[in-house]
Amino acid sequence: MELEIVRRIDSLKDIYDFIESFFESNGTEEPVRYPVHFVVEELFTNMVKYNPGNMNTILLDIDLEGDGVKVMITDYDVDDFDVSKKRDVDVSAPLQERKVGGLGLHLIRHMVDKLDYHYEDRQSRITFTKGPG
Amino acid sequence: MFDISFGDSGHVMCKGRLDAAQCEKAQDFMDAVAEAKTLDFAELEYISSAGLGVLLKTQKRLAADGPGLKIINVNNHIKDVFRYSGFNAIFDIEA
Repeated sequence: MELEIVRRIDSLKDIYDFIESFFESNGTEEPVRYPVHFVVEELFTNMVKYNPGNMNTILLDIDLEGDGVKVMITDYDVDDFDVSKKRDVDVSAPLQERKVGGLGLHLIRHMVDKLDYHYEDRQSRITFTKGPG
Repeated sequence: MFDISFGDSGHVMCKGRLDAAQCEKAQDFMDAVAEAKTLDFAELEYISSAGLGVLLKTQKRLAADGPGLKIINVNNHIKDVFRYSGFNAIFDIEA
């Protein structure tokens, strides 16, 4: 199931409705739902934030994989930025040393079973899987 | 949909989904909070990292000279997000 997404933060409502529609149609288990919403939002908002002048739509593709789902997000005419690389975020730092922002890519690594990044011909494709376990 | 308001108890009641499209509304509300408060998440279904940023920015301001924010009635998914973020150590969180 695919959705072409307009590159703006307000598209989060369309993304939510699209993913929920997929979950309802397929009876997706509850433990999968929150992480999928979370990871798609983080990846999408990063694409919007770091390529604000890009007018291309972003393609979201979600399919069943085993008891869970496989999600692909494709962005066109963008620079190389590997979201699957480990980010150094000190989550044990004292409050006043904590930075506002930068947590998103750290958190998604906790929420997926597998995260892949592929970049070719200025096209980035991020694929992740999430099962109920 | 996201809503934030003061409840009868004086707690800050958060409801719905706090995503990146809603964090400006949440930040505007929290910026007007001048003292330590309890946030009630009983009806908050979802928070993204943008929402965590709102909490962190507010906590840094309030906890600089007071007890800061207490967060109650947190669902299990949000509890996981807090744990992965290290928020358990910098907020007073009650299930």
